[in-house]
Amino acid sequence: MELRYELVCKRFGAADALIDLDLHAPDGCFLVMLGPSGCGKTTALRLLAGLDDPTSGRMFIGPRDVTPLQPRERDIAMVFQSYALYPHKTVAENIEYPLRIRRLTQTDRQERVAQVAKMLNIDAYLERYPRQLSGGQRQRVALARAIVRQPQAFLMDEPLSNLDAQLRFQMRAELKRLQKSLAVTTVYVTHDQLEAMTMADLIAVLSNGRLQQLATPAEIYARPANLFVASFCGSPPMNLLHGTVTNGHFQRAEGTFPIDNGPASELVLGFRPEHAQITMRGAPDSFAGEIYVVEPLGSETLVSVKVGADRVNVRVWSDFQGQIGDHCGVRPDASRTVLFEKDSGQLIKGSTSGSSKQPGTGGVRESA
Amino acid sequence: MKRRSRRALIYLALVAAQVFALFPFWWMITTSLKHQVEIFGGLEFLPQAPTLDNFAALFDRYNFGPFLANSLLVVAFSVAGSLLLGTPAAYALTKLPTESWLQRQALIVVLLVRMLPAILLVIPFYLVLANYGLLNTRLGLILVYTGLNTGFVIWLMQSFLAEIPRDIEEAALVDGDSRLSALRRIVLPLAAPGLAATAIFSVINIYNDFLIALTMTSTPDAQTIPVGVSTLIGKIQIQWGPMAAAGVVGALPIIVFALIVQRHFVRGLTLGAVK
Repeated sequence: MELRYELVCKRFGAADALIDLDLHAPDGCFLVMLGPSGCGKTTALRLLAGLDDPTSGRMFIGPRDVTPLQPRERDIAMVFQSYALYPHKTVAENIEYPLRIRRLTQTDRQERVAQVAKMLNIDAYLERYPRQLSGGQRQRVALARAIVRQPQAFLMDEPLSNLDAQLRFQMRAELKRLQKSLAVTTVYVTHDQLEAMTMADLIAVLSNGRLQQLATPAEIYARPANLFVASFCGSPPMNLLHGTVTNGHFQRAEGTFPIDNGPASELVLGFRPEHAQITMRGAPDSFAGEIYVVEPLGSETLVSVKVGADRVNVRVWSDFQGQIGDHCGVRPDASRTVLFEKDSGQLIKGSTSGSSKQPGTGGVRESA
Repeated sequence: MKRRSRRALIYLALVAAQVFALFPFWWMITTSLKHQVEIFGGLEFLPQAPTLDNFAALFDRYNFGPFLANSLLVVAFSVAGSLLLGTPAAYALTKLPTESWLQRQALIVVLLVRMLPAILLVIPFYLVLANYGLLNTRLGLILVYTGLNTGFVIWLMQSFLAEIPRDIEEAALVDGDSRLSALRRIVLPLAAPGLAATAIFSVINIYNDFLIALTMTSTPDAQTIPVGVSTLIGKIQIQWGPMAAAGVVGALPIIVFALIVQRHFVRGLTLGAVK
């Protein structure tokens, strides 16, 4: 079912948790709401679940306006950050609880529970209690309880945040496969941009209760709608250099860089770490700098360069020879730079060359 | 060695505390098994010629059967009644914003009745019961005890219910429960230790009450054990034997009840600590 928020606002006392949220996720879509803590993403999810009432606005699941409905009438399933398993029920009882409420016959219930348990590899623990399970197993039980019912939408509130890094990596992939095979529209809330980039069909970036950008991961990576999105997505995030524009050149004290004429005189030049090169100091179209730190990541090396008061990250081959303190230059790839207006922070010119050749997500890597 | 001697000291203190706590109980049991002559005869730790005469006298001559029945009935109904009234109220209070003005005021109002000494409440209660012809009835006692105990239940249950994670209840709502069925199927089972602890405190409070029962009742039709036992203290003579027997019989229901719910009870008392 497609999901839609229409001008949804939520106020807690004097604080605006969500302001005019307007977004639409097509049927079968994996929508990730991404943002720092307190940005309103969990509020948005709880509103859709019916656990809180919006101050104003409407929400739709498919053609139904669910705004006035109770949670149980919305036909959704939710996975909580804490898993929220029923501690006094066994794994099997936990999973079959939504079916029991819907008065399915015992044979139907058992069949569905067995099927889902098998799908998630928890069929060996059906008789145990949640306290006897590890975090990863509990996570699977919570998932099983959500998918056992075949609801119209899944809502997930940071379901992986309590797992260790390795398990999270593994569950991320499984969750994505599961969502694709069930083809049920999913709203997934996270503060982890890596999860968002790797799993989402669509990412909604939120900050301070406002939607910043709703786009595919590739689009968000290549053309962030504003400075907030640029600095939040990607690891390390997009490099941002402040400067002025004169005669088709972006200028800083450390160097100039040719751009299409920008409308404003004060601009921010943005480029991804993999879309730049380390050059000799004084090379054409480069910014003079000094190597701040060199971090070998195995497959590649991340070089942090001090350009004036700013720092710029550049991904280079792992045979990079530079040392801390070396003088150098940084030359962005002209076809992949973006420009932001300094005052509004909005994107004014996207990458000039086709992102079709290399999907933007190619640059997201685990940097742990 | 230092650790061992410290340990020994701790055990010594524990044993002393045990003796201090259990000796009166022991003395009550042995006294109930002694003949009158022996009771006044000196400090014997064990009855020389054990007898059940005191128990027989208690039920045959001193009407203990009706007292016991009154006590059990009154306690059962008032504890059940106050749990039934107080638990939903406590649940509603946990849904108010924590530490909000409203929640605090509501809890203080609830506590107000408990803060007044019972002796202050006795006269108004007496007048009300007299008005409705409920003096010297079990129903009258049940109403008074239920009213007084509900505030206690609200306070205790409010703290137990507040400890149940909100997520779990919300999961039930999303899974298809209404507020009420989530309360019944998820919240209350999780609050069972709290219910047990609250129940046992309530039982002891009401079962032990003397002042209200004494004022509101006048015959064995409604008199409870504490009042009944007090009739054994005559103007001339105190019936120590039957009185000790009454103590033993009277303590039995509480002990049995405590044994039944003790597993929950202990978990209830440590609920906050373990987490």
